[in-house]
Amino acid sequence: MAIKFAGDFEVKRTPDEVYDFLSDPNKFASLLPDFQGLSIQDPTHFTVKVNVGISYIRGTAEIKMELVESDRPKRALYKGQGSMAGGNVALTAAFDLSPLDSGTRVAWQGEAQIFGGLASMAGGLLEPLGKKQVQKLIDGLQAALR
Amino acid sequence: MSAIKKDAAKNWVGQPLPRKEENRLLRGRGKFADDIKLREMAYLRFVRSPYAHARIVSVDTSAAEILAGVVCVLNGAEIAAQTQPFIEIGPEPCAKIKDYPLAVSKVRYQGEPVVAVVAESPSLADDAAELVQIEYDALDPVVDAEVALTDKSILHEEAGTNRVWNGVFEYGDVDKAFREAAYVVKIDRMHFHRFSSTPLENNVVIARWNPKDDRIYYECNNSFPSFAIQFLSAHLGVHIDRIRVETSDIGGSFGIKITSYPQMAVCALASKKAGGRPVKWVETRTEHITSSAHGNERTFLDTRAALDKNGVITAVVSRHIDDCGAYPRYEPLGCVIWSQVFPGVYRFKNARIDFMQAVTNKCPVGPNRGYSRMQHLWFLERVVDICGHELGIPTDEIRLRNYIRPEEFPYTTPNGCVYDSGNYPRMLQVAKARIVWDEWKSKQLTARKEGRLIGIGIGTTLDSGTNNFGQSQIVNPGAPFSGNSQGANCKLDIYGEVVVSVGSCPQGQGHETTAAQVVADVLSIHPDRITVRTGFDTERNVHTGFSGTYASQFAVSGLSAVHGAAQKLRAEMKRLGAFLLETKEDDLEFGTGEQGPEVRAMSTGKSINYWGLANIVNVNSAVLPPELYEVTLNCRYIWRAPFKVPDKQRKYGSLTLTYASQLHIAVIEIERDTFIPRILDYVAVDDCGTVINPPIVEGQVYGATAHGIGAALMENCVYDAVGNMLTSTFSDYTPITAMNMPRVKYDHIETPSPHSYSGAKGMGEGGAAPIHTISAALQDALFANGIIIDDSFNNADSLFRAMVRKEIGQAEKLVTVERRV
Repeated sequence: MAIKFAGDFEVKRTPDEVYDFLSDPNKFASLLPDFQGLSIQDPTHFTVKVNVGISYIRGTAEIKMELVESDRPKRALYKGQGSMAGGNVALTAAFDLSPLDSGTRVAWQGEAQIFGGLASMAGGLLEPLGKKQVQKLIDGLQAALR
Repeated sequence: MSAIKKDAAKNWVGQPLPRKEENRLLRGRGKFADDIKLREMAYLRFVRSPYAHARIVSVDTSAAEILAGVVCVLNGAEIAAQTQPFIEIGPEPCAKIKDYPLAVSKVRYQGEPVVAVVAESPSLADDAAELVQIEYDALDPVVDAEVALTDKSILHEEAGTNRVWNGVFEYGDVDKAFREAAYVVKIDRMHFHRFSSTPLENNVVIARWNPKDDRIYYECNNSFPSFAIQFLSAHLGVHIDRIRVETSDIGGSFGIKITSYPQMAVCALASKKAGGRPVKWVETRTEHITSSAHGNERTFLDTRAALDKNGVITAVVSRHIDDCGAYPRYEPLGCVIWSQVFPGVYRFKNARIDFMQAVTNKCPVGPNRGYSRMQHLWFLERVVDICGHELGIPTDEIRLRNYIRPEEFPYTTPNGCVYDSGNYPRMLQVAKARIVWDEWKSKQLTARKEGRLIGIGIGTTLDSGTNNFGQSQIVNPGAPFSGNSQGANCKLDIYGEVVVSVGSCPQGQGHETTAAQVVADVLSIHPDRITVRTGFDTERNVHTGFSGTYASQFAVSGLSAVHGAAQKLRAEMKRLGAFLLETKEDDLEFGTGEQGPEVRAMSTGKSINYWGLANIVNVNSAVLPPELYEVTLNCRYIWRAPFKVPDKQRKYGSLTLTYASQLHIAVIEIERDTFIPRILDYVAVDDCGTVINPPIVEGQVYGATAHGIGAALMENCVYDAVGNMLTSTFSDYTPITAMNMPRVKYDHIETPSPHSYSGAKGMGEGGAAPIHTISAALQDALFANGIIIDDSFNNADSLFRAMVRKEIGQAEKLVTVERRV
């Protein structure tokens, strides 16, 4: 089951500032909804822990992330894999930055591929819930980059 | 001299005797596998794959192993090191597949067991299972059999292809029939969906690998144990006599429980690792839906039917692609089993079916009720039904023009099967009368003028029972199976009780009752005086390699064995009675006297009851003269079906002994606003030859009808593009319940089978009839709207989409008709 997200927003920071924020997990990871913890393995690998609560499926998801594309200050692409009660998830999240006269436009797109019983048991809930969580993340990013 | 009471004054076979087992089962006094609690029992939980197709990078069970209460943990590599892969029934490339009960280096369907955790309690096993860490490397999943056949992503590298089996079944002169046809109807594609069964009781296994005698003891609810032990013996490297399997009451199987032998293997190996402690596994409902077995999914491509100017079908050609899921297991038997009903109930003699089977990243299939035949029969019913609509021949009329005629029985099909008896036109007549056909036709006309979508559909199906396992040699010439047999034992116990044992494992079919009815007739006593041992037990020595309960065969194979054993017992009792009563055997009569069941000399009135007979043989044997030493009053009989090995080259021969038939008619309205299909009227007419017990047959018909209506309208195993099964709970799989069932009008005719001693034909798998019938009714409702029913599953959503596609001009043209007259 694949859930796709996309959108864009504008902030008043420069592309370099935005890029530095987006490529530093110490800065943005805590904005993830239900963030629990972060461990950084090296400059391009880190692991985040988030709480998961979808209907009666509850627990912690541990997601191993990798910065697989880095083109400062234009583009950052993350890929991640994680497991939680009821299934596994494969994530991609890309940010494309373009300069504006007074800031930066951030075009973002992502895909979450769900594997396992979670897709069945919470299938109908996943997409709206996922979109809600992504919106929380984007709102958080916008607030942090204000 | 008191008169002997002959209970045979009425023939017990054919009587509506209440089921002997009902008191036990309906009052909650049955004994099911999960009721069994053994000392030191440990509980097994599987850790299953979330991926449909992935390499196993690492398996870390350390956290689970150190959890307090965990007994042991097993993984696939460990099992592979100490066992052989399961036997594959098919030839190469299928034979190269390495199938272990736990995934070894990769997983091939979502829900495949990867690790087994054994703990002191079920909840501890659950907790420990969550601690197992498995790293996967996801691979491209293949969830469509046609795509699988391109071999772009291969499931079993050792086989080198996803193709399991391919064969062409061709009979008659197909080309000539098409050259001479008045009409050729072409149907591009049809699809029979994947669904399963939902027995009340899921799979349960208790295994104990006893280190003291190095034997494996199973208590389980597998429904074909004699098949399971053959696979387990070779897999575990254990002599088959060292495996004991017992079954007790079973809460339904519908064929799906035949394929629980991989879990049986894991439980035995876990018990061995646990030092011989008994290990119990109780399947959850989601495990059952996602990972036990599904029915075969099949796609029918490039179908062409040739018809003469009268609408009589003269030839059919088609390509069939069967999806057997991730592991063939019981397959590729399904690649030939459909050909037991090659022409269905129709007379055409020329046909060519190119049959292909492929593995996909979905749950393995199993012999689900109506196994492999219902897919083919649905296909044929769709062909006939579509031809009728396209050529403007009423759907009842086109069937009558094509049915095998009553006077043609026994009827030899183009592929050499012999249909024993039947009368399809009569069944149609009865069904039409029960549903009041003409009245509904009239109502339908009126309703259509009001814009309502009402359809009336007919479905005719066959329930072929008692397989010739020689058909496996059509799939694999090296297969060591042929014929069919069943064993039974009938004895007078030491105190003269009549005790019957059979190698079947009933799951609600009433074997206890019907076996007693048969013996009661042979011994002229009341069935209540007969004890029938229920459940399978290898130690009873009444099983053959075919014993179990499957494939609509107990009425023929099981009861023939019981009848044979009872007759042997009767013969011994006569011999002994003649000696003791100092008369000739033909002077004896059987019945019930003042001292219970007895044998009486008609000439003198002297009698001896069963206790007296049994006493002399068992505990007072010095009375016996040497010439009667061979009388044991403990008679085992093996019944063998009179089959020959089929012609493997021609794919020709008798594949099944009896052919029960079902004809259903449904009236369905598709609501205009919601597209919900509602059954307005329903009739089911059955012909299983001589009816042994009418309420049992009627119950089977209702059950099968419910199963089929559920399959047609509600039950569908849906997978997404990456192989997630999206219908893994009852919330999404939505099995049919009493609330969804229409009132079914039941009727039956009897065309006794010349192939069974009683005239009975095996029945119980008529679950396909509603699928054909509902497809036909929906077709009738929607044909005027230009919609062809090309799938066996139809719900409000799919009907709405079909209608929208048609209205916006995006519907594919599935059917074309070439008219030459």
